Parts: sequence; C-alpha cells; structure tokens
Amino acid sequence: MDYVVEMLNIRKEFPGVVANDDITLCLRRGEIHALLGENGAGKSTLMGMLFGMYEPDRGIIKVRGKETIISNPNVANRLGIGMVHQHFKLVSNFTVTENIILGNESRKGLVIDTETASKRIRSISEQYGLNVDPHAKIEDISVGMQQRVEILKMLYRDAEVLILDEPTAVLTPQEIEELGKVMKNLIDEGKSIILITHKLKEIKAVADRCTVIRRGKTIGTVEVSTTSEADMAEMMVGRQVTFKVSKQAAKPADSVLRIDSLTVKNSKKVLGLKDFNLDVRAGEIVGIAGVEGNGQTELVEAITGLRKAESGSILYDGQNIVNWPIRTRIEKGIGHIPEDRQKRGLVLEYSIEENMILEVYQKRPFSKHGLLNKAAIRAYAKRIIESFDVRSGQGATSVTRSLSGGNQQKAIIGREIEQDPMLLIAVQPTRGLDVGSIEYIHKRLIEQRDKGKAVLLVSLELDEIMNISDRIAVVNNGELIGIVQASETSEHELGLMMAGLRGGEVAQ
Amino acid sequence: MKKTMILLALVAMFGSLLAGCGSANDGGANGGNGGNTGGEAAGFKVGMVTDAGTIDDKSFNQGTWEGIKQAAEEFNLDSKYLKPAGTTEAEYMKEIGNLYDAGFKFIVTPGFKFETSIFQAQDKYEDAKFILIDGFPHNGDFNAVVNDNTVSIFFAEHESGFLAGVATAVELQEGEAGFIGGMEIPAVQKFNWGFQQGLAYANDNLGTNISLKPENVVYEGSFDNSAAGGQLAAQMYDRGVNVIFCAAGGVGIGAISEAKTRVQSGEEVWIVGVDVDQYTDGIYDEESNSSVVLTSAMKKIDQVAYDMIKAELDGEFPGGEILTFDAKNDGVGIPTENPNLSDATVVQVEDVFAQIKSGEIVVAEEQGDFIK
Amino acid sequence: MRNTIVSLLAVLFGLLAGALLMAVTGHNPFEGYRYLFEGGMRDISRFGDTLATATPLIFTGLSVAFAFRTGLFNIGAAGQMLFGGFCATAVGLTLDLSKPLMLVCTVLAGFLGGALWAFIPGLLKAKFNVHEVVSTIMMNWIAYWTIYYMVPAYFKGEYLETESRQLPDFASLKSPFLSEAFGGSYINLGIFLAVLAVIVIAFIINKTTLGYELKAVGFNRHAAEYAGIGVNRGIIVSMLIAGGLAGLGGVAEFTGNASNIQIGKLPTQGFDGIAVALLANNAPLGVLFAAVFFGLLYSGRGFMNAMTDVPPEIADSIIAIIIYFAATSILIERLVRKLLRIRADKREQSAEKGRES
Repeated sequence: MDYVVEMLNIRKEFPGVVANDDITLCLRRGEIHALLGENGAGKSTLMGMLFGMYEPDRGIIKVRGKETIISNPNVANRLGIGMVHQHFKLVSNFTVTENIILGNESRKGLVIDTETASKRIRSISEQYGLNVDPHAKIEDISVGMQQRVEILKMLYRDAEVLILDEPTAVLTPQEIEELGKVMKNLIDEGKSIILITHKLKEIKAVADRCTVIRRGKTIGTVEVSTTSEADMAEMMVGRQVTFKVSKQAAKPADSVLRIDSLTVKNSKKVLGLKDFNLDVRAGEIVGIAGVEGNGQTELVEAITGLRKAESGSILYDGQNIVNWPIRTRIEKGIGHIPEDRQKRGLVLEYSIEENMILEVYQKRPFSKHGLLNKAAIRAYAKRIIESFDVRSGQGATSVTRSLSGGNQQKAIIGREIEQDPMLLIAVQPTRGLDVGSIEYIHKRLIEQRDKGKAVLLVSLELDEIMNISDRIAVVNNGELIGIVQASETSEHELGLMMAGLRGGEVAQ
Repeated sequence: MKKTMILLALVAMFGSLLAGCGSANDGGANGGNGGNTGGEAAGFKVGMVTDAGTIDDKSFNQGTWEGIKQAAEEFNLDSKYLKPAGTTEAEYMKEIGNLYDAGFKFIVTPGFKFETSIFQAQDKYEDAKFILIDGFPHNGDFNAVVNDNTVSIFFAEHESGFLAGVATAVELQEGEAGFIGGMEIPAVQKFNWGFQQGLAYANDNLGTNISLKPENVVYEGSFDNSAAGGQLAAQMYDRGVNVIFCAAGGVGIGAISEAKTRVQSGEEVWIVGVDVDQYTDGIYDEESNSSVVLTSAMKKIDQVAYDMIKAELDGEFPGGEILTFDAKNDGVGIPTENPNLSDATVVQVEDVFAQIKSGEIVVAEEQGDFIK
Repeated sequence: MRNTIVSLLAVLFGLLAGALLMAVTGHNPFEGYRYLFEGGMRDISRFGDTLATATPLIFTGLSVAFAFRTGLFNIGAAGQMLFGGFCATAVGLTLDLSKPLMLVCTVLAGFLGGALWAFIPGLLKAKFNVHEVVSTIMMNWIAYWTIYYMVPAYFKGEYLETESRQLPDFASLKSPFLSEAFGGSYINLGIFLAVLAVIVIAFIINKTTLGYELKAVGFNRHAAEYAGIGVNRGIIVSMLIAGGLAGLGGVAEFTGNASNIQIGKLPTQGFDGIAVALLANNAPLGVLFAAVFFGLLYSGRGFMNAMTDVPPEIADSIIAIIIYFAATSILIERLVRKLLRIRADKREQSAEKGRES
C-alpha cells in the first residue's frame, strides 16, 4: 500500500497527562482521511507532532516510507506537510498574494516580486477550482474564502499532505458544501488530506477512511462507506447513542424577553449587533442560528449585562433592564450558560462547591452576616453534582481545574438550571461534550421549557438548533435576517439565511 | 503560575539590588578581620558599628575603620565592624549587643544617629567603652549625658570647609563654585557655610574672584544616590560652574565620575572632596596620576579613632568628655599632599590655617547670612 | 501540607546554598549557622528581638500575600508602610491622649495612611487599567519624598533634620512590661497586633463572603464579572486592605521598633514582604512563620558576624541567598515533580525489563 504518512505507535505525554498513547494513523496517497474524536481525545496533539510542533516520546513517523524526525514546522513544510488551523493566520489588511508569500517572498532586485507570485496563485487557484482573487484584501473577503486562501498558501508551498483542523466550524452549510468540492478537487490532483473533526455527517459526506481515537488511544480505522454514523459515534464515545430529541410541541405564553432595536458594539468598538429585535416567550425555546462572530456574543452579553447596549431596549418581564447591574439581572431570574466556560463560567482554582455558589454566595443559607456557611454550601453543591452527574475525583471539594471539560460544563449547566431561571440563556451548551451528555443536556433544556420558562439557545451547531428550538432566529453580520419555525424550516433555508439572504419567511 | 513567576522576577530584581550593595566590597574588610585574631590580645577588642552606607563609603565609615585597623595592627588588637540592617535605634542596639556579647568591649560608632543608642548602651554595658563620633549621647531630648565609659567627639567642619574654600579660590583665582550636600544635617551644613566663608575671605583678602550662586547650592537628600550626584554635577557644570564642593558621601562619588568624564573630553572642571583625602577617587589618568579632585576638606576621623584606641591602651581614656577636633588640634584641614595645588597656594592656605589656629580668623559655625 | 513541605525544602536549599557560599569564602558553615541561630534565639532577649524584627515583615508579608490572593501585585508595601508609619507618628506627635486611646488612634491612622497609599493605585487600576506594579512603585517614591518634605517641615526633631521628634511613651507601642519580660528586648505590642492581623486576614480569606468575592476576582475576573461581583470594587477593596496592612507594618516599625521616623529611607521590609509572601505561598499562617524565619536571619546575622570571621557583606549575601532560595519555592515544586516523574519512569522501565527477561 502506498502511504504518504505513517504515524506508528505514537506516544506523547504532558506533565500529568498522557495525551497520545500508542496511536497509529496511516494516510494513503490521494485519500481524505478523517481523524475523529471528542474534544480532548488527543487529535490536536497528534497533528501537532506531524506538523513539528512537538516531538513524540515514543513511536515513529514515516513520510513517503522514510522514517523522519519532524523537529519544527519548517521541516514539516519542506516535507510537504501543511496545516490549515482552525483560527486563520492571515494579516487582514494584506492582499491574498501578500499573505501567501509572507515569509517566503521572492525578490526582483530589492523589490518583492508580487506579480509573478500572483500569476502563480491564480493558476493554482484555477487548477483546484478555488476561485480566489489574488489581489483582494483579506478583510474584504468572506470567511470561507479566507479558508481557501489558507489552503492556497499550503499549495503554493507545494504541500502534498494537508491537515485541516475543524475546517467547518466557521462555515455556513453552503460554504461547507463548497469546501467538500474543493477537497475532492485536491484529491483528484493527487494531494492527501487529514480532516480533523468531530462531526460525523461531514465525515460521511467527504472522507474515504476514518481513524477514531478516544482518550489518547486508537480505537480503529474504518472505511467510511461501510460504516454508519451511529457506529462511528459509538467508537468515538464508547457506548451507544441516540441523536434525535423527542419533545412535545411548545405552549408559549407571555413574552419574557423583548428586545427592541438593540445596537451593541463589539470588542473592536465596531457595531457588532445592529438594530436587533427579538421576542422570547415563556414556555418556548428560541434558537439563534448563525456563523460564529455574527453578533451572538454581543446579543448575549447585552442581555446578561456584560456588555453595554449602545441604543435600543431590552424588556425583561416588562421592565427595561438595559441599565441594571449584572447581579440584579441574575437575581431577577436571568440564567446564563456562557460561551467560554473556562473564561466566564468558572473560577478554575475554586472547588466545585465554591463554583456552585458563584452567583448566590451572598444569599442565605450560603452566608449570613458576611460569613460563609460551609455546610449549606456543600449540601447544595452535592445536590447539583448528583442530579447533573458531575464526575470528579473528590466530589464537591475537587478543584474545578481537575475536572474534564464535559464535567465542567455539566457543573455550569447544573448551577444555572438549579437556580430555576425565568430566562435561561444557553450559549453552546454542548460544545465539546460527548454524545451522551449532549442528550442529557438537551433533555434538561426542554424540561425547563416545559416548566414554562423561556430559553434562548445560541449554538453554532445547526443540528442542535434545529432539534431543540421551537423558533429559530438567524443572524448575519449583527443583523437579524429572519425568524422561522423550527418545524417548518430546512437546513438549506437556514444556510442561505446564515449567509445573509433574506429568504425565510418571518413567522411570528 | 505565570503570575508567580513575574512576582519572582521582581523579587529577584530588588533582591539583586540589595545583594549587589551588600557584597560590593570585602577585600579590605577581610584583611582587617582575619589579620589579628591570632595575635596576643592586648587586653581589649575593638568593634565598630557602621552608619548608613557601606564600609567603603570613601568617607565616614571608611575613615573610622581605617583608623581602627591601623591601631589594631600597630597594637596587635582584634578588630571587627558590624553592619546593622537598618538605621533605627533598635538595630544599632542589636549590633552593639552582638559586639559586646562577642567580647568586643571598645566600640566605635560614627554618626549622630547613634546618639540615643549610645545613651542606652553606656548604661547597659558598663564595662564597655564607647566612642561616639559626630554626636553626644542623649535620651532624645538633646541633654548630653556622657558617662565615664563614653567619649563624644565633634569636628569643626566649618573650619575644614573654610580652608578648602580658601584653597579653591586661591588656586583657581576666578570662576564659579558650587556645593552639593548630602542630607541637610549639621555636619554637612557646617562644611557648606565654612566653604562659603573661605571663598569670601579669599575674594576679600587675597584678590580672587570666585562667585557662588544660590542655585548652585544643593542638598541632594541622601548620602547614597550617586546617579543623582552625577546629574546635579552635570547641571551645575552646564550652568558654568568650574568647581563643586561635594559633602555628600556616595552622592559625591557620582559627581566625581561626572567630572572625570568631562575632563577626559577636554573641559576643565574640578571637585573638592570631603571627610578624607579623595584625590585617588578622582584619578582619571592612571599614568600621569591626574585627578579631578582639587583638594579635600578633611575631618581626621581615622586619626581620632586611632588616638582614642591609643589613649585607652595608655590608660588615658578621656571618659565622660565631649571633645572637639578643629584646626587648633589638627583635627581638620586639607591633605598634606595636594598635587593639584600650586606651591604658592599651599603656602597661602598654611598661612590661613595658622591664623585660624591662633584665633586671628574666626570661622562662624552658624548659618547667618549664608546660602542654605 | 504539600505546600508546607515545598516551603521547608526551599528553606533547606537556601541554607545549603548559604553554607556553600560560606565554605567557598573560607568559613566554617556549621560554626556560622550555629552563631546565626544562636544570635536570634540564644536567650529570651534575643528571641524577643527576633520577634520584633519579624513584626513589620508579618504585616508587609500579609499585605503582599493578601493582594496576591486577589490577583494584584502589591509592590508598593514599602511606600504604604512608610506613609502609614508617618501618619501614625504624626498622630502620636500631635494628639495628647491616654495611652490606650492613643494607641487606637495611631494604629487607625497607620492603617488608613497605608490604605490611602494603596487606594490610589487601586483606583487607577479599576478606572483606567493602569498596572498596579507600575503605580505602586511610583507611590513608593511619592511616599519617600512626601515624608522627606513633611517630617522636617512639621515634625522635625529639635536638632536633627533627618528624623522626627521622638514619640512620647504614651504614643509608643513599646511596653516596659513586655521589654522586661523579654530581658530588655525591644519587642513591643506590635507583635500582638501582627498575630491578630494574621488571624483576621485568614478569617477574611477563608470564611467570609468578602474573601470569597476577592479571591474570585483574583483568580478569574471574567468569571467574577459574569457572576455579578463588582470587579472594580473588589480591586479597590483589596488594595485598601493590603495597603492598610502595610501601613500597620509602618506603625509597628516606626512607633514600636523605632521611636521616630527617619527621612531618606524606603523601608526594606516592603520588598522583603514579597519574599515572605512567596515563601509562605500566600497563606496568612505561613506568612507568620516565614516572617519569623526572616526575622531570625536578620536578627542573628550580627551575632554571626561578631563571633566568626564572616564579614558583614558576606553575611548579607548569605541571607540574600537563603531568601532567594526560600522565595523560589515554585521552582522547588517543579523540581520535586520532575524528580517524582523520573523515579516513576525508572520504575516503569525496570518493570518492563522485568517482563522482557
């Protein structure tokens, strides 16, 4: 068999963890090879070693049949291995050509020879059907196009093997489809691709073979065409999982949250949310669909008080809360499962029990006259830990940092739901969780709805939005594109709306 | 983790400053310590507690210590100095106690800051002898109480400053002078006022023309900030000052460096040193032995320390007395060797010195109309 | 527990390094250490001096540790201590009250003075995000020059320009009873105040909602903000307390160990407080022990000098080295972890060999 890359029995240890333990991955010439695993399974570490960012403790790496030591990314480049990172590494006020030749400039005398370079870029672009304009500035082109620039950059440097790290996370469904085509073109031209992902559907759509790793160990390599999604999911998680959530039709009641022409600036001091309107009623789940960075963060932070609203109003239970302090909002029943659990949601140095009272420590029975009541706190934390199955070494007293990401997330969700909020804002509540936990959390969100509470769900996973929500609001570039009934829409329609096309009917 | 590392780096930064100061010198001290311990002790051991600053401060501590070392060598005595962690009475008491406990029962303390400590120590350690330089023991109320086991010593800094002023004026004939002081304490002030009188005397009686402008009389505020000394000196030289009298310990060392730099680049500027003969500190050309230090206004601390030890050996310890060292008993003056002064100048200064001795010239030790 | 072991190891390494320096410079380390520790503990009077030396260090160590627990680097303990001490001295020289009332006033003045000096960097950080390392260092020098001007101008001693008048007995923390009990040591009521401060701070950090809030702000200000905790308020409160503690250190130093305030000196205890806090791993009780250890070193050093041929400069370096190592407990911790891993690896390898054969 003709392998371009063979990673054999790789082991890599970081202080305290074995990230990779005896992993084997063999990439054939001209195939798309998916690397599947949950967050933290060891995918990035493995690819990091192939790209020369770390060296393996044990095991060997062969490139085109020859054993090699890849000590740094430059070596990887010379061997024809290129990586497209999840977060692009592009200079936004440079042109495509300038970005591609950056660090690899050819000169004509003292002047950088951009002309020859852009000619070559154009021809590569045509060859692979990338359709990139070499003279466009990065800041003017779409995210999908930027990704192609990254791919072009690899091709320009004669990469034979391309590693794509979660390439679809930032794309609309249409762009994902386009990317699929691009990948096929690349394969046809003799390139080989490693696709890092945890999305089964994509693997099914484009990949030839799939290597599944779990907790740093290879579970197996399978032919995608003969393996079902459910089988791959089981390999990834280690047990059987279901995908569909069963729920009753919503019985929405009065409006809990009414947002009127809300405008919010983003961290770059540019308008991130423009003239936004939304209504969330008790007893319904409203999903916010959109590609990352299209105003979701600004919306959520404006409602929770973490960010100042420039103009417009946020009516919560009939009162305009725009100027309320964060604590008042929490006390009045706005719960928030934050997007970034480690940055916002938890004090990692605190124990779980200390984190469980993060928003209620000043209330009885957790404290009295400014003194903490440890017994009450522990009892409260234990309750959450039990009902949300938060697993840790020492129970309530475990340091939160020592918990796995999934358990951290469950602790946050438990904390927020335990407060029984009138309005629960859940941002990416299942990011990085295994399929089983996802199932459980979805159930709890729906339960919350059925109790007559309002839920605002923000997620980048279209499946999640479509499965859980009753209504879906689609955002693009900080603007509300439209609101659709979840039962009446399709992935295709949502995808178009996420790309900014006002195709969907506004259903109210 | 990262934060801790930053904090650590800061500690390292500050720590190395302190350690750097602390370990700058040990050669001289080592010799002094090791040299005489084995010998036949002649009855007593001599200890010293240093004032703020290091033993190699080119002035007060160093002068005292050199006197002690000389006596220790000559009379075969044990000698040792201790350096307190701070300048509070408690810290001075601690070091005096350490010396006493280790058998050093003849203790020399340079500096007025020891006044209240010695007041206590002279009662607490009755079988020990104390020499307090530049101060007298009192209980915080400035009522001198000098026990029989203590001698208190003062210098006539104004006379020393006067002589340096005359020497400066006569040598340079005309130009502009400046003054950099350390802290505004009596000893430094008296140097300043004496220097001003010396210049004025020379201008009036010896036909010189040296001016001193009020803006060129500055107290830096410490005895150890040599960087500031360099800056002050630079400013004065830029304003047209030709010679600066530095009564400022380490601050003066900074001024001397500045002067060296300027002389090496062709300017003609001078420094007048203080406390000890600072000629060697001002050498900028080893071969020709050229120095920027014109002369020095000396307090013969080393001589006094030596004399006191000798007196004790001879059984003539002047316990209970407050002694003043001035021109009359050769306790102050300019160095005997002055390579930068012409013979004529030296003769002239000797003449003035004689007149002070005889009382024909009286140098005021109060501020009067003098600048600062 | 583990932290305690690491700190003790750090001290041990420090002592070993100090011994090495003594040996290299031709002195007998055993003799040196014998006199060093004797000097700090030989009799009750010397032990009293050790405690007195440690007192300001307890306060500055607590100050740095407390600020650090809440995510702030208080490098300005020196200035806060100086200004707090100045305020206490000023009150002591101005008011005429009975001793108990007077002590309450001087202690309060010292706390408030230190707190004010830390409030400014706290405010700058909260409002304008000015880093407190920069602003507290600046405040050190502002304190230095303020005292330099204020003392001679308003509280000048009768003849001396460089220090204030002596505090009257009724404004001093010195207590004849205590001094006598400790054989004439200069130990004073400050030590009780320091122990009390350790207890109060430990209580605040571990048992109160205030401590909970401040720690949350220190560990993760984003999460604190998310939970509705006033981050800016937390920064300011934390600096106030840290500054107040350093100010109390000034009270202990200038109205207890000394009886007047001198100009032209930035108290070294301010910086030593950082080392104390590091060695103590920022735990209040640890600060108490670490400060007493440092007090012992500073206090015994002179006796070591007097009894051996170790010159003061080398003694200073030895102390500095011990403190260095003691303060680098974080490195020691890494070393310990590495050693453990190497041992584990070896065991694994030998186990593998066993299987192979």
